[in-house]
Amino acid sequence: MKIFSESHKTVFVVDHCPYMAESCRQHVEFDMLVKNRTQGIIPLAPISKSLWTCSVESSMEYCRIMYDIFPFKKLVNFIVSDSGAHVLNSWTQEDQNLQELMAALAAVGPPNPRADPECCSILHGLVAAVETLCKITEYQHEARTLLMENAERVGNRGRIICITNAKSDSHVRMLEDCVQETIHEHNKLAANSDHLMQIQKCELVLIHTYAVGEDSLVSDRPKKEEEQHANTSANYDVELLHHKDAHVDFLKSGDTHIGGSSREGSFKETITLKWCTPRTNNIELHYCTGAYRISPVDVNSRPSSCLTNFLLNGRSVLLEQPRKSGSKVISHMLSSHGGEIFLHVLSSSRSILEDPPSISEGCGGRVTDYRITDFGEFMRENRLTPFLDPRYKIDGSLEIPLERAKDQLEKHTRYWPMIISQTTIFNMQAVVPLASVIVKESLTEEDVLNCQKTIYNLVDMERKNDPLPISTVGTRGKGPKRDEQYRIMWNELETLVRAHINNSEKHQRVLECLMACRSKPPEEEERKKRGRKREDKEDKSEKAVKDYEQEKSWQDSERLKGILERGKEELAEAEIIKDSPDSPEPPNKKPLVEMDETPPIEKSKGPVSLLSLWSNRINTANSRKHQEFAGRLNSVNNRAELYQHLKEENGMETTENGKASRQ
Amino acid sequence: MPTVVVMDVSLSMTRPVSIEGSEEYQRKHLAAHGLTMLFEHMATNYKLEFTALVVFSSLWELMVPFTRDYNTLQEALSNMDDYDKTCLESALVGVCNIVQQEWGGAIPCQVVLVTDGCLGIGRGSLRHSLATHSQRGESNRFPLPFPFPSKLYIMCMANLEELQSTDSLDCLERLIDLNNGEGQIFTIDGPLCLKNVQSMFGKLIDLAYTPFHAVLKCGHLTADVQVFPRPEPFVVDEEIDPIPKVINTDLEIVGFIDIADISSPPVLSRHLVLPIALNKEGDEVGTGITDDNEDENSANQIAGKIPNFCVLLHGSLKVEGMVAIVQLGPEWHGMLYSQADSKKKSNLMMSLFEPGPEPLPWLGKMAQLGPISDAKENPYGEDDNKSPFPLQPKNKRSYAQNVTVWIKPSGLQTDVQKILRNARKLPEKTQTFYKELNRLRKAALAFGFLDLLKGVADMLERECTLLPDTAHPDAAFQLTHAAQQLKLASTGTSEYAGYEHNITPLHTDFSGSSTERM
Repeated sequence: MKIFSESHKTVFVVDHCPYMAESCRQHVEFDMLVKNRTQGIIPLAPISKSLWTCSVESSMEYCRIMYDIFPFKKLVNFIVSDSGAHVLNSWTQEDQNLQELMAALAAVGPPNPRADPECCSILHGLVAAVETLCKITEYQHEARTLLMENAERVGNRGRIICITNAKSDSHVRMLEDCVQETIHEHNKLAANSDHLMQIQKCELVLIHTYAVGEDSLVSDRPKKEEEQHANTSANYDVELLHHKDAHVDFLKSGDTHIGGSSREGSFKETITLKWCTPRTNNIELHYCTGAYRISPVDVNSRPSSCLTNFLLNGRSVLLEQPRKSGSKVISHMLSSHGGEIFLHVLSSSRSILEDPPSISEGCGGRVTDYRITDFGEFMRENRLTPFLDPRYKIDGSLEIPLERAKDQLEKHTRYWPMIISQTTIFNMQAVVPLASVIVKESLTEEDVLNCQKTIYNLVDMERKNDPLPISTVGTRGKGPKRDEQYRIMWNELETLVRAHINNSEKHQRVLECLMACRSKPPEEEERKKRGRKREDKEDKSEKAVKDYEQEKSWQDSERLKGILERGKEELAEAEIIKDSPDSPEPPNKKPLVEMDETPPIEKSKGPVSLLSLWSNRINTANSRKHQEFAGRLNSVNNRAELYQHLKEENGMETTENGKASRQ
Repeated sequence: MPTVVVMDVSLSMTRPVSIEGSEEYQRKHLAAHGLTMLFEHMATNYKLEFTALVVFSSLWELMVPFTRDYNTLQEALSNMDDYDKTCLESALVGVCNIVQQEWGGAIPCQVVLVTDGCLGIGRGSLRHSLATHSQRGESNRFPLPFPFPSKLYIMCMANLEELQSTDSLDCLERLIDLNNGEGQIFTIDGPLCLKNVQSMFGKLIDLAYTPFHAVLKCGHLTADVQVFPRPEPFVVDEEIDPIPKVINTDLEIVGFIDIADISSPPVLSRHLVLPIALNKEGDEVGTGITDDNEDENSANQIAGKIPNFCVLLHGSLKVEGMVAIVQLGPEWHGMLYSQADSKKKSNLMMSLFEPGPEPLPWLGKMAQLGPISDAKENPYGEDDNKSPFPLQPKNKRSYAQNVTVWIKPSGLQTDVQKILRNARKLPEKTQTFYKELNRLRKAALAFGFLDLLKGVADMLERECTLLPDTAHPDAAFQLTHAAQQLKLASTGTSEYAGYEHNITPLHTDFSGSSTERM
């Protein structure tokens, strides 16, 4: 495909000399209605169009179809030629519409039959046409600017369609020579100019216009190569024009067997497609390999406007193509988008992706508690919308909406557990007011207030000892005790809020409120709890944020590691780290499990954290001072099961946790 | 991209190659060895590829129709007999038929031709085919270029020196040229032996059959995926931008759009997005595709139980009826969606849009799509009852803007009749009457069709004389006024024939109330 092919620039040169004012000698009956009345009135005499009218009508029809099918990147320049050249429009996109051209043509008016024919010549127009072809279009300019040093790749080709009355073959040759010579001259000029481009190729279409007898057509509209007819039929046919690629599959298939040589004009011009019952709806996503704008051949005819209005009202029409074998296959769909009608090419061949493995058989396919509904809500919040007016950042640079969309996705996913059993807070209605606003780039005072209210509410719940929807998946017995549940919940909430504290000072305030309010059991209690085995899932949920925080605080932790390796001031250093909000994880949150001699495999992947270095050191020192617990000695993978005697009583009972209703 | 393996089973393939140890090999053994390697690779790393096996000599035969069962293909390799001479053209015609019957003309296929570079003798030989190439008509068209998008890989069971000693290499290069340059010739480096055949097929695998691995990202949510079939490089404009564009291995989701809003967009190609489990070295340990192999099964079962973002995304896209817009490269986008193969089976699919700033006119420029939270009010409405899409183009198309076309007489007649019909219902239809009148006037002026204005003026004057006694007195005034105005316009003098000028209803003592009724 080439954007800058001959069809990028088309110049119409229409003869405006006195001869063109002559009648085309075809009569048009316009007084039709009177026939129904029986008062014996004689209808008005038919009138006939001038050669000029015929020429202008045809060229306008050409433009109508072209603007319908190729509204962009295919441009028309209109020139009228008499005693001089009148250029009616420019290459700019704003000038490319019928209204502009019609108004300009009205201003020119029909040729004056009494003007001196000697003064008039089509040559004026042809010279102007060559001149205008050298002028750079917006698209060419844009492409050249974009390509920089490769600007010479931007082609400059065009087509001149000249409607005139040629007097003889030698006259035609004279016109051809003139165009060639002018191109030659202008190319020299263009070589030394920034605003002009040399013409690489120019197609000259001369249309000889003359009046004929009573009933044959005067001027022929040249058929564009790209155009091709399709035909829909039920009770009536509607002939549509569109890009020929819409039938590329058909042309290549054995049905016509035209194959590679279709360009030589031997391609089939009309393909008949049949309307099938429109049982499609726009919720269905068809596999569509191309969509091309259409234009009806007879735009104002009843069948045409009936079809186009049907489509413009939002309905779609499926079309089927008869095959050589007699079978039919749905091959196309007509559908409008924003007032433009497109012919969609639907794939009708066998799919190479048939019988694929189902997603449930693949990775993650056996997990059954994905937060499908929550992610659906997330997707709706992250839907896109067009921002047509440019926006600017504070520093004055242009803001790209799509980059904003990516930023938002980044923020919204900083802490986003994928499955229900990995999260507590996202299963709690009470957390929603906080969770929905904390991801925002900036918070209002009201948002902060709502977050604080949410936290107070949670404190209240804890005080009343309300149950929490803690997952018991993978745990035995009743799961963690109530106070442990709250600890898990508060930790997770802290993780969420911490992921956003760098967004703004107000986010920071939410964290401060959270830290001030969250339960802090007395030291003794806390120490006891640390001994308890922590929930697997909590680790996982925190890991998600840890990953994020580790990236962000990479430099910090590197620096801290340096401090530790070099320094001996253990306690003092540990205190600093504990207070640093950027440290991967506060030390008081570490379960004792990880203080064992063999750290979990997970840890060995990344750089050794300050905490584990510290813990290992302390552990080694301490282990020399006491006898090992019996439980630890008998443990499997450093895990000993507690309260084994209770197992018989409680069995494998699982408790309510509010999850079941969510699935 | 389905594959057709076209295997030469002519007698020349039975030529022995220099002895390697104690065993004696023929070229066909080397070929079978290479193909075995290819099939094994596909069975493990490219198992969704459909492959067919064709053998040929002076005749051709479809040994194995398109299948994903690589055991069957493998078995067929060991059941091949030796036949007579090489006749490549008829085999290629056979390939055309097989592919078109199965896949039509739009699906790209890879043709792997395995031959020893002996191109046959006399009629039907490649030399003969090429010599007569320019004298072909529609009925005996040469099969290349293939009538479907294709790559032709020629695997020669010969080394370069051997091929160059005759004109074989030139002929084979002609073949690739005839296929519009789509394809490549592979020859054996060094002596003909199993090892060198392997390395030749290894090159083919690297070129055409390495799985495309990528990371699907949505902010911090990520998943390792295989994209099947491999997305092919795409040339946007052969002249301005001849370098083929290749998609990123980071597939970044930028946002979401309802299926109704994206409304069956045209796509270049579509692909399965299969989550994969990678080990530390980045090697694939399982695609999750169930396999007979027990070891793999257990690995897959473990992978199946680890939450995967693809599954979450797929589930929500399916439930919500949405697509995810994914960035594939600079100014290149695509969409992810759930595709149901049957009632039970569905999958995450990715379709690629054409590269460019605005692949879908009804969405506008991709870069201008932003998050709804940046809009003053939610463009989807509080109750999710509206949509910012589709975007309206600046100019309406001809079928949506009441253009005037008089190329056929019927177009003109319809327009005149409209005026006449309304003229007879004056003063009730005053507004419509003048609207139609002005439309006709504008078109007549633009087309320089001034006789029509005179004609219609005459017609209106006649209508005036035909008014029944019961007619509203305003009707006569308006008809006379309109006729007069048209006559003035038909003089073409700028004073009355201005294009922008509109004929307005005559203000009469009666008209005040009547026009307001419109």
